[in-house]
Amino acid sequence: MRYHPFTILFRIVQLVKNSFVIALVLFVFRRDSQFWLFEYGRYLFLLYIAMRIVHIVVSWFFETYEWKENRYLILNKGILVRKTSTVPLHKIQNVTQKTTLFHKVVGCTSLVLETSMDGEDDEIKFDVISTEQARLITQLVQQAEQAAVEQAPLSDQEQDGEHMVLQEKTERAAEKERVVHFKPTKRSLWKASFTSLSFLAIIPVAASLYDNLSPFLSDWRFENILPMLSETWGIVLVATVAIPVALVFGVIRTFIRYGNYEISSTDTHIYIKRGFLEESSFAIDKRKVQGIEIKQTVLKRLFGLAEVKLVSSARSASRENAVSVNSLYPFLPQQEAIQLVQALLPQYFFEWEMNRLPKKSLWIKLLRPSWLWLVVTAGLVYFQPTFFHLDQAWWLLSLVLLVIVVLNRILDYVNTRYGVVGDQVQWWRGGLTSRLFITKRKNIVEVEYNQSPLQKGFRLISVKTKHRSNPLSIEGVDDVPVQFATAFDKWYQQRERRCEGDGACPK
Amino acid sequence: MEEKSLSHQLSKKYVQARLVSELIGNALWLIVLLILFWMYHFFEWPRWVFWILIGLSALSLLGIVWSFLEPYYVYRNWRYHLDEDYLQLSYGILTKTWITIPTAKIQAVTTIQGPILKRYRLRSVKVETIGSSYTIPGLDEDVALSLRKEIAQWAKIKDTEAL
Repeated sequence: MRYHPFTILFRIVQLVKNSFVIALVLFVFRRDSQFWLFEYGRYLFLLYIAMRIVHIVVSWFFETYEWKENRYLILNKGILVRKTSTVPLHKIQNVTQKTTLFHKVVGCTSLVLETSMDGEDDEIKFDVISTEQARLITQLVQQAEQAAVEQAPLSDQEQDGEHMVLQEKTERAAEKERVVHFKPTKRSLWKASFTSLSFLAIIPVAASLYDNLSPFLSDWRFENILPMLSETWGIVLVATVAIPVALVFGVIRTFIRYGNYEISSTDTHIYIKRGFLEESSFAIDKRKVQGIEIKQTVLKRLFGLAEVKLVSSARSASRENAVSVNSLYPFLPQQEAIQLVQALLPQYFFEWEMNRLPKKSLWIKLLRPSWLWLVVTAGLVYFQPTFFHLDQAWWLLSLVLLVIVVLNRILDYVNTRYGVVGDQVQWWRGGLTSRLFITKRKNIVEVEYNQSPLQKGFRLISVKTKHRSNPLSIEGVDDVPVQFATAFDKWYQQRERRCEGDGACPK
Repeated sequence: MEEKSLSHQLSKKYVQARLVSELIGNALWLIVLLILFWMYHFFEWPRWVFWILIGLSALSLLGIVWSFLEPYYVYRNWRYHLDEDYLQLSYGILTKTWITIPTAKIQAVTTIQGPILKRYRLRSVKVETIGSSYTIPGLDEDVALSLRKEIAQWAKIKDTEAL
């Protein structure tokens, strides 16, 4: 099957977009330049564009895709050198659908299928595809995943899965029904636009704007602007114009990004839809969720907000978009975050009764040398720089840093909680930013314990669990009593024996 | 973690093998140092180079002393245990590390033998998992080969299909 004919148009538009700046330089700004680079550059550029266009058009006739037995996707590429690749549908980890403005105009959409493979074929892109086709392919992928699970003998990954499979079979009919779990309200969006500090995002935007325009603004050199800011009228200008502009910018940015947000799920998948002008939707297989992370920065904690992230074995698709896909929604009210997770992944629960670190952990945390502080202080002692016309600033700075380091460690001690409940582990740690990580025993691929001589003296140890993700995710807690680690290892080693044979795993 | 230690140790011969390889390494490094001193003299490099070289020599001296002790400590601290379900490793001289890997998560096992290990009829066993790899440094040849076979067997039986 050929790709959608609008693919040609899409690629040409992309080409124009990408080469626009170069064209502008070659044919507008440096129109009269006799410099050889521009002279020949113009011809080379035209040649390149012509070749690309020919290539785009010709390759459309040669590139095809098809599926076989509803299980394999076969892609044919190349004009002179033909290349055929076969991708088993159940190896596809993520399906991302994105509808940009272009797609909206032509009434189509785009689809990216991500596989767990490495290298060239790690993702399959449909630049333009009709909405029906996109839906069909998404469905095929999900069916293939389903079939793979049912056929495969219980692999180590899916001991718990067995239980789910049985459920799935009985609830086949209900499975296709999507339940919408979350849509942000206006009020929460306002909150989000301030806690995210998104108004600061105007700085890089302004900087890149300045960078692009600076050739034409010879008088507005940065060195000339800076002294203006120290004048009174400069400050007034900043306060009355720049700050409101930044705030409005931040609010608009947040609304565009999260305004149309929607989290929904079926029995097997979680769907995230977002975007205002450019829609993108993302589906993740629940079985591929390896753990849940609930993260709070200081600011979010003040506002009672939290970010929920899913650690998944699927490759992260965060290349293009700044908003990473594994984040469910960064500005959820704490309570709602917990409810959402429980609705999406019912096998996870929250147990608030967790172990706290013993007193001696605080001592060890404080005793440990801070390399950051040592290096910075050494640098400060050596250079003895002056800030704000203060001769003594260097040791003040070092002191401030020390206070921050110590405070962070004390907070880390206070915040750290850890525990094992049934087949679930919970690590909660962090100083200024706190992170609660929850996972199941079957999702731990490896456990590592480390004990430094200092820890040995205190009979403490660090525990690390590793999880299948891309890159490998490593979680854990530091300075827990050795007894806990011993018990933890015993707990970890129980998993397989009890899970084997009888399909029912301990919940 | 401290109470019990795992069942198996490295081969006793590993201490000697490692000592030999350290000696060769040290000898090569000393030659490099001597050449540097000679170059300093010959090309009349500035004075500070001399002090750097003296510092390097002092550090290498410490390193050489340590390299005579290290093999024994490595041997004493390395332990491993394999059963049907788990491969457990423990090692580390100052900072101790314990690792528990379910055999089902092991993706590849390799035995490695360089010229020195060959001379002593030893082999290293390298185990690769999803995100990391571990090497058990020196085992008697037959032990290493049967370990590899055993790991491969357990790993294969379980891991019929990985997501």
